[in-house]
Amino acid sequence: MSKSVVEMPPKGGFSFDLCKRNEMLSKKGVNPPSFRKTGTTIVGLIFQDGVILGADTRATEGPIVCDKNCEKIHYMAPNIYCCGAGTAADTEAVTDMVSSQLQLHRYHTGRESRVVTALTLLKRHLFNYQGYVSAALVLGGVDVTGPHLHTIYPHGSTDTLPFATMGSGSLAAMAVFESKYREGLTRDEGIALVTEAICSGIFNDLGSGSNVDVCVITKAGKEYLRNHLQPNPRTYTSSKGYSFPKKTEVLLTKITPLKEKVEIIEGGDAMEE
Amino acid sequence: MTKQQANWSPYDNNGGSCVAIAGADYCVVAADTRMSTGYNILTRDYSKLCKLADKCVMASSGFQADVKALQKHLAARHLIYQHQHNKQMSCPAMAQLLSNTLYYKRFFPYYSFNVLGGLDNEGKGCVFTYDAVGSYEKVGYSSLGSGSTLIMPFLDNQLKSPSPLLLPAQDAVTPLVEAEAVDLVKTVFASASERDIYTGDKLEIVVINADGIHREYMDLRKD
Amino acid sequence: MDLNMNLNAPHSMGTTIIGVTYNGGVVLGADSRTSTGMYVANRASDKITQLTENVYVCRSGSAADSQIVSDYVRYFLHQHTIQLGQPATVKVAANLIRLLSYNNKNMLETGLIVGGWDKYEGGKIYGIPLGGTLIEQPFAIGGSGSSYLYGFFDQAWKEGMTKDEAEQLVVKAVSLAIARDGASGGVVRTVIINSEGVTRNFYPGDKLPLWHEELEPQNSLLDILNSSSPEPMNI
Repeated sequence: MSKSVVEMPPKGGFSFDLCKRNEMLSKKGVNPPSFRKTGTTIVGLIFQDGVILGADTRATEGPIVCDKNCEKIHYMAPNIYCCGAGTAADTEAVTDMVSSQLQLHRYHTGRESRVVTALTLLKRHLFNYQGYVSAALVLGGVDVTGPHLHTIYPHGSTDTLPFATMGSGSLAAMAVFESKYREGLTRDEGIALVTEAICSGIFNDLGSGSNVDVCVITKAGKEYLRNHLQPNPRTYTSSKGYSFPKKTEVLLTKITPLKEKVEIIEGGDAMEE
Repeated sequence: MTKQQANWSPYDNNGGSCVAIAGADYCVVAADTRMSTGYNILTRDYSKLCKLADKCVMASSGFQADVKALQKHLAARHLIYQHQHNKQMSCPAMAQLLSNTLYYKRFFPYYSFNVLGGLDNEGKGCVFTYDAVGSYEKVGYSSLGSGSTLIMPFLDNQLKSPSPLLLPAQDAVTPLVEAEAVDLVKTVFASASERDIYTGDKLEIVVINADGIHREYMDLRKD
Repeated sequence: MDLNMNLNAPHSMGTTIIGVTYNGGVVLGADSRTSTGMYVANRASDKITQLTENVYVCRSGSAADSQIVSDYVRYFLHQHTIQLGQPATVKVAANLIRLLSYNNKNMLETGLIVGGWDKYEGGKIYGIPLGGTLIEQPFAIGGSGSSYLYGFFDQAWKEGMTKDEAEQLVVKAVSLAIARDGASGGVVRTVIINSEGVTRNFYPGDKLPLWHEELEPQNSLLDILNSSSPEPMNI
C-alpha cells in the first residue's frame, strides 16, 4: 500500500526533523557515532506452570564483541521480566522507565503488576517514537490472570504467543521452537528447550554468542539462572603466559611551568565616577 | 528515467584472519577456517591457506570468490614457470608475481588481503604482506583480515621489528624459536576469536622449515 | 547474498480481511499471517479485534498503526457505552475509526473493516480504507489478498444469504486468497455477529479446501519428492 501523498503540517506529536537530518547526513557520508547493538538471540515460552525467558550474553559493536557476558533479561516487576534486543541503550532505558512506572503503580494500587500493563506502557512509548527507539522485546510474566508471553516490535506492534523469539538469531531459535515446542512442557523440559533455542542462535548467528541466561517465572516466584550454560570456554592459554615489558620510551624530560595568564599591575589609576 | 547504475555490489566480505611469522630457519603461516557473510556462517571448515610452491604458502582473507580466482591464476602461472625453468618458484619470486597479478586488476581489484610466507633462497623465513592492489613489503611478521586490528598490536608488542628505513638494512626475522612462534600464533587466534565475530571455529597452522611443510589444527570458539 | 530478508521492516499485515452481511447479522473473516519483510513473525495472529460486545474490527496494513487505532477506539467506545447506558451502534464505532484515520492520515498506514450488530440498524459492515473514507457496504474486502477476490465476490455474493451460507463464503474466499497471495496465510478466523450475540470460529490451515495446483499438507518436503514424482516435461 502506498503512503498518502497529501502532505499537511503536523498538528501535534513529536518532531522527527532531526532524524530526517541525520538520515540526510549519513547519506552524504557523515555517519553518526556507532552505538552498542545487541545482535541478539532472545526467546520465551509458556510451560505448564509459568513462563521461561532466555537470552544469549553477547553485545557487539559492528564486528567487535564489546561485552562477552552482558545481561539481556531485564527486571520489570517481581513477577515480570523482559528480554531486550536492538540498541542496548534503548532496551535498557525503556525497560527501566516502564519498571519504575510499574513500581509507582503498585504503590498506588497496592496490587501486583499485570503483564498487560507493562505491555501497554511499552507499546505506547515505542509507538510514540515511530520506530526510532529501536527496542525489540520479549515480555513474559505471571500475574493474577495467569502466565503471559508477548513480543513487542520497535514500531509498537505487539503479538501474544505461546512461544516467541526475537533478535538477529530469532530464525535459528524459532527453527528449534517450531520443531520441538508442545503444550504443557514441564519446568525441566522448558528450560532445556529454551537453552537449546538460545544455543542454536549462539552457534549459528554471528551476532549472538557466549553464554545462556535463563529466567523461570511461576506463580510461586521467579528464578533467575544467570549463565545457566557456558558453552564457549577459552580455547587456548599459553602455558608460559606473556609479559608486556616494553613501556613507552621516554625521549626527553623537560618541565615547562605554566605561565601566569593574568599580570597584576600594582598602583593603577583609581576608578572615578 | 531514474537511476541507471547497478544496485548490487560485485564484492562480498567473507571475513577471517591471517597471520604469518618468519623466523631464522622457519616460517609459520596460519588462518582460521570460518567463512561467513553478514551474520551468517557459510561454513566452519574452509581453508584460507594455499600452497603456491614447495616453500611458499599464501593465506588470504576477504572475498572468497576473488581469493579462489587469484589462487587458480597463480597456480597456472606457477605451472608455466615450472615448464619453462624446470624448478619451483622461489618465495621472493612468487611475492613479486603476486604483486604484479594484484596490480594488473588495479581498477577492478581482487578483494583479497594476502600474506605470503615461506623460505627464501638461503633457507631463512620470510613474510610478504600485501594490500588488495599489490603494494607489498617484506616483513618479519604480519596479520591481515577481520581480526588484524586485534592481533597486530599484540604482535608489535611481542616482536618489535626494526625499521625498514634503517641503514644498513636490518634482518626482519623474529628472534623466536619455532615452538614459541606456534604458541604465539595459537594465543593471538584464541584471543581474536574472543572479540572478533568473523574469526573462529578452527585454526589451521602451517609451518615451513628445512624438513618441508607441516600442518596442524586447533579448535577455536564456535559462537 | 540477500537472505537478509529485511527483518527491520516495520511489522505489517499483508492480509486478507473480509466482512459480509447476511439476513440477520454479519460475518467477519481474516487470515492469520503477520510478516516483517519476508519473515513470518506470527503465523497465528488474530486480526479480528473486539471493540465492544457487539462490534468487531478487521485490521490490515501496519500492525502497530492498526493496533493503536483499535485500542483508542475501544477506549472511546467504553466511555461512550457508559455515558449512553446502552451498547454503542456500529455506525458510532465506524465513525470514530474514520475520525482517527482521517485526522492522522499522514501518520497512519492502515485499512480497517468494521462489522457488528445493533438494534437500530441490524447487521452493518463499514469499510475504512487508507485515507479515512467511510463507506457502508453490503460486503467489504481488504488487505493485499483482496485483489484476488473482487471478481469472486461480484459473482458469489447474494442478497439475503443465511448465516451458514455467508460463513462458508467467507471461509472459501479467505482460503482462495491464501492460496494465491504470499502475504496471506496460516489459519482462517471468523466472527459472526447477530441479535443473539457473537460466535468465533477457527479453521486450521491444514483443514482448508485445496485449490488449483495446491499440494496436500506434508510432514516433510522430502515426502513430495519420494512419492509419485511428477512426469518430466516433454519437449
